[in-house]
Amino acid sequence: MGRLFIKLIIIMTMALLLFIPVNSFVKQSRSYNINDDILTFKKNPYPVDIINLGASHSMYGYYFKPTGLSHLDLALPAQTIQYDFKLLKEYDQYLKPDGVVIVSISQMTFVNVETEDAGRYYEILDRTQIEPFNLLDYYRYLHLPGTNSESFTSALSSKWKNFKWTSHQSWANDGKNYAERKSEYVEEQYRKATEKNYVEQNVRQLKEILDYCKEKGYQVILTMEPVHQTYQEHFDEDVMNRLVFQYLNSLELDVPFLNYMNDQRFADNKDYFLDSDHLNSAGRKKYSWIVYEELKKLGYF
Amino acid sequence: MTFISIEFLIFFTVIVFAYYLIPHRWRWVLLLAASYSFYASLSSYFVLLLLLSTAFSYSTGIMIEKQETKEQKKKVMLAGICVLLFFLGWFKYFNFVNDSIRAISAYMDWNYAIPYQEIVLPLAISFYTFQAVSYLVDIYRGKQKAERHYGYFSIYFAFFPQLVAGPIERAKKLLPQFKVEQTLKYENLSYGMKRIAWGFFKKTLIADRLAPIVASVYDSPDPTGSQIVLATVLFSIQLYADFSALSDIAIGCARMLGIKLTENFKQPHLAVSIADFWSRWHITLSAWLRDYIFVPLCKGRKKRSEIYLVIIITFLISGIWHGAAWSFVLWGLIHGFYRVFGDHTKHVRGKMATFTQLDRSPTLHKWMKIATTFLLVCFSRVFFRSDSVTAAFENAQLFLTPSSWRPSGIIEAFELFSLLDLVIFTFFFVIVQLFHYIERKNASTWNWLSQRPAFARYAVYVLLIVSILVFGASGQGFVYGGF
Repeated sequence: MGRLFIKLIIIMTMALLLFIPVNSFVKQSRSYNINDDILTFKKNPYPVDIINLGASHSMYGYYFKPTGLSHLDLALPAQTIQYDFKLLKEYDQYLKPDGVVIVSISQMTFVNVETEDAGRYYEILDRTQIEPFNLLDYYRYLHLPGTNSESFTSALSSKWKNFKWTSHQSWANDGKNYAERKSEYVEEQYRKATEKNYVEQNVRQLKEILDYCKEKGYQVILTMEPVHQTYQEHFDEDVMNRLVFQYLNSLELDVPFLNYMNDQRFADNKDYFLDSDHLNSAGRKKYSWIVYEELKKLGYF
Repeated sequence: MTFISIEFLIFFTVIVFAYYLIPHRWRWVLLLAASYSFYASLSSYFVLLLLLSTAFSYSTGIMIEKQETKEQKKKVMLAGICVLLFFLGWFKYFNFVNDSIRAISAYMDWNYAIPYQEIVLPLAISFYTFQAVSYLVDIYRGKQKAERHYGYFSIYFAFFPQLVAGPIERAKKLLPQFKVEQTLKYENLSYGMKRIAWGFFKKTLIADRLAPIVASVYDSPDPTGSQIVLATVLFSIQLYADFSALSDIAIGCARMLGIKLTENFKQPHLAVSIADFWSRWHITLSAWLRDYIFVPLCKGRKKRSEIYLVIIITFLISGIWHGAAWSFVLWGLIHGFYRVFGDHTKHVRGKMATFTQLDRSPTLHKWMKIATTFLLVCFSRVFFRSDSVTAAFENAQLFLTPSSWRPSGIIEAFELFSLLDLVIFTFFFVIVQLFHYIERKNASTWNWLSQRPAFARYAVYVLLIVSILVFGASGQGFVYGGF
């Protein structure tokens, strides 16, 4: 039996030696550290003028540094509105008394409900807020992210950005392929969400966020970030009414809504986009200035 | 706690240590506690049903044995089977029957008021019911003595490595192994660990990587024909990897405890006919259906047409056993038809092979038969995978449309994968094929590997572990775990 034990030790040691660099590769990847800005803020918090919530459109949408405003970006890719609320409640203590909360609305706002990657909230939220919480998963995510194949594949993908089918490149066929795939994805998610009554649940959650902000005296604004025209073609007025506005209108909100989705200053200019629905650095700066100006006009600053 | 989890590995390690540390006379208690804990962790609501079915089968077995005449034994056996099948029928088939009657009533304009009932299917009920039925029938036939030790009998009923999805074992094979004192053997531990690792490999690197790709097509409202073709072929690979992995883990776990379970798969996708396929796929179910459905129904029948009818009925039962839906019934019927057609045309096909001189190139002939069988199996799996009969017929039509098989369309359908995922999947798929190739050339890949230099062996083991750790996708349940 000693022989088996020694063999096992040798094999496990060799496997471990191979695994260590893989684990460290994942730990250093952009996708694993997607919550880095929030984590940095958590360690050294400061009063902020503006907080934005939402998913990737919002995460890639705002950069208020040139305006002189202090800003906390609580948006993360594919973030559900439930986690928007959880993050807001966790970090709103740092919002200045006259601060602004930007609630970003997208095609996915009322559709998203299942958090694909709860791990990224482990360090930025209180454990009790994460559902379902599993201690093994918690320690595995923090210390052995290399054992999560999705994390490893994401890390590889971000390292080899161009290792994609030609037709899957962001701007292949003028961005139409990307927009079409995204549209199919959203429709599929919408179908599932309506079947499982997630939409109503998300609409209620948005109302709760707005009521919470009102109760706390925060200034709230709803926004919709600009997208490229190839994307707009798949999300025309009818589609947006079906996915978003019918639900939003049913709430009869008395909150300003800045809808830049079809803004012509962005729509036909690829220089402002990473892909057809996410702003790049230049787009983000320009868009944030526009929002800032609009907020000033509304008397928010 | 599913098989593919750290929790299970920790749980099982503790059980193995404890098993060999405690005296033999107490091991059944440990195995029973482990089995019920494992079942409770997956389906706590239905532990009571498992206990009840166990007690019922135990006492019925003894009652059958106590009857004096064959006729009395038969009556008790049939009554016992009816009760077991009632439980299975209630939980698994009530809504199927209810929905079907409602649909017929609506069509015929009858008044039918029983609504859909929220009935949860107890985990593993199909598997342990079949084991119980075989136990009662074997006692009636005099092949098996009724077990008097309630503990051992309960383990036979609920032995955790094979409880969820088989292999479906006979009491004759399993019970004596529990009673014999198993000593700690290097070979058993080593072989068991390898089989478990190989199961993890197939499940996490093949099955669970394919599952979302297949689902994206089958859940799509308007898939293309080529996507259906590709997704169906991939589903066949997924289903094999998924189910055979489950059997590998079961066999590996049992072996580490000194128990030998029956092999459930023998490279089924290399079958040269549908009959051959069923002797390689889910072998223990095929053997069960043969011994307890086909053979009794064939008794006294000599006409070919009658035997064919029995074949159809047997496959129909196989289909219904798999799932309570008309798509599974159709799947069973298709296989029954294949089997009958294959038998009926055997002679003609042999003549055709001679006429086309195909039989002069045995290798080409064999691979053509393998390809044909695989495609027939794939076609039937359109029904297995589709969510409804309507969807199944639509998908089957797409599968059979010649334009769906255009190479350019199928190459385009590969874009269902991301390029990175395709490369990763292909790499591991080649490894599995290599493993199968070695197995075909030698009796066992593990034996072949044990004759290689230490460096090569260790490299393979390390590759297995690191691949599972880093690339292993998880989170998908086992397909057969749902039956």
